[in-house]
Amino acid sequence: MMQTNYIEAYNEAVFETDKQAALAVVNQALNDGFTPEDIVFKLVIPAVEVMMVRIEQDTDSNLAQHFMTAQIAADVTEKMLEKFSAPPEIVGRVVIGAAYGDLHSLGKRIVMGCLKSLMIEVIDLGINIRAEQFVDAAVEHEAQVIAISAMMVHTATGENGSLKVRELLHERGLEHKIKLVVGGAPYRFDPELYAKVGADAWAPDGVTAAKVIAELIREVKA
Amino acid sequence: MTPLEILVAAINGTPAPRIPIFCNLLDQGPKLLGMPAKEYFSQGEYVAEAQLKLLERYGHDNVWSLHYVGKEAELLGCNDILFADDGVPNVADFVIKQLDDIAKFDVPADITQHPAWQAVTDCMSILRREVGHTHPICAYVTASTTLPSMLMGMDKWMELFLLGPFDLRDELLRKCSDFVQQHIAALRAAGANVLVYSTPFGSPQFVSKKMIESLVLPWMKRDLQAGKTFDLVYYCGMSPFNEVIDLVFDELNINTFYISPLADLREAKRLIDTRGLTCGVIDDIKMIHWTSEQTRAEVKRIIDIGKPGGHFLFGTGVVSLAVPEANIRAMLDAAHLYGSFR
Repeated sequence: MMQTNYIEAYNEAVFETDKQAALAVVNQALNDGFTPEDIVFKLVIPAVEVMMVRIEQDTDSNLAQHFMTAQIAADVTEKMLEKFSAPPEIVGRVVIGAAYGDLHSLGKRIVMGCLKSLMIEVIDLGINIRAEQFVDAAVEHEAQVIAISAMMVHTATGENGSLKVRELLHERGLEHKIKLVVGGAPYRFDPELYAKVGADAWAPDGVTAAKVIAELIREVKA
Repeated sequence: MTPLEILVAAINGTPAPRIPIFCNLLDQGPKLLGMPAKEYFSQGEYVAEAQLKLLERYGHDNVWSLHYVGKEAELLGCNDILFADDGVPNVADFVIKQLDDIAKFDVPADITQHPAWQAVTDCMSILRREVGHTHPICAYVTASTTLPSMLMGMDKWMELFLLGPFDLRDELLRKCSDFVQQHIAALRAAGANVLVYSTPFGSPQFVSKKMIESLVLPWMKRDLQAGKTFDLVYYCGMSPFNEVIDLVFDELNINTFYISPLADLREAKRLIDTRGLTCGVIDDIKMIHWTSEQTRAEVKRIIDIGKPGGHFLFGTGVVSLAVPEANIRAMLDAAHLYGSFR
């Protein structure tokens, strides 16, 4: 089977939220002689990138598809990484968490799954995270991006969330080397809200967020 | 006509002086009464008092008996709610921490005997006494397919929902559906006459339409099996659902639809037509930063789409504390002006 056929078959299975069918494509590729490195770099990463474009263009894509894209990609990548002949090169680092006062974790999980499959190291701080924790962790781990998930209006717009992180980045002179990205339901209803809370970028869903974060990492490292 | 009569007229398509105007003011209560959110929500009397004061202040049509959505999780064993003085309370303790807990998880035989129900019944009894004959009293019911997100977290629920084990998923859904049936009956008995049935998994923005038909719909039918549906509102947590409006009419017999600001309202009105009530909803997150003029213009746009032919209600999502009072007043003034049939 040609590489593009594997990618199409894999993504069709993901889009149908059929994990077994997606794993069958991976197993078929392994049986056909693809190495674990090939599976990640020639199947999973291109497939996630194709899916990112598809989801960005298809406004009718749904949360279940976003979840499965991330879940399957992360699972396959994790299994393949164990079999790599040498550790892969890490593209960059992101510190991620839910805003202070926010206990929602689904969006964060989708973003993390996609990022891991793209060889981006993720430092997950969890939920209900203070602004200082985000900034301290980003400095400690030399992360290029801080990603904050907020599912409620008060955690998206409140003084202890993204606004405070921006203030700290400014105070500590870190704005040139750490970018701030936000996501979550309130931003979908007001696409300009991200700028009002001091973020550099936002994304309407978890899969697109991974794409935005990857671009910000490239920007910082350029 | 009273607001309740105006609502009934909109549903039936009979003459009325104006369209119904719903304004959902839940977060404003603690500040209005000058107390922390935790204290405010501890007593049904406080919630009722704030709802009545807000009604008097703004002159909209509806009151809410809703304390916070996590109240349902409390009735099912949740012991910790994270209160915020500037927003919505969060469930902070998941009843189901691992899959083994599903077998041990039980729905109370009578939720009205649960201590957490007392505040609901106290609130409802005051609202019923004060405005029950004149105003719609709204209550909130989370559907069985969404309730588990409050019991185990949305990410773990999504994983169980999509990837199984499916016997455990269905066991949890059955228990949640049993709860929903009880919850609806208890709210009706307490005096609620508008039940907002919150079913995000009934939106194609959550799962595919195919999955809604094959998996979500049967559970929604089970939730609502008691039969009467005239007081139910189909609501998907502000997610669009135009694609399933016909399905909901045909399979659930629900006739009132709370349309997301992200959906095509014109298409929704066309689909619903005179078969039911279209609720056009303003984007109250944009209202945080809009001017009063922008707010008025958006109200006019929504009502211009929905009012012709009647069968239309103007409404809000949950108006956050961050929305300036001037914009709430501008919205309601404009809704009365443009929503008039005179």
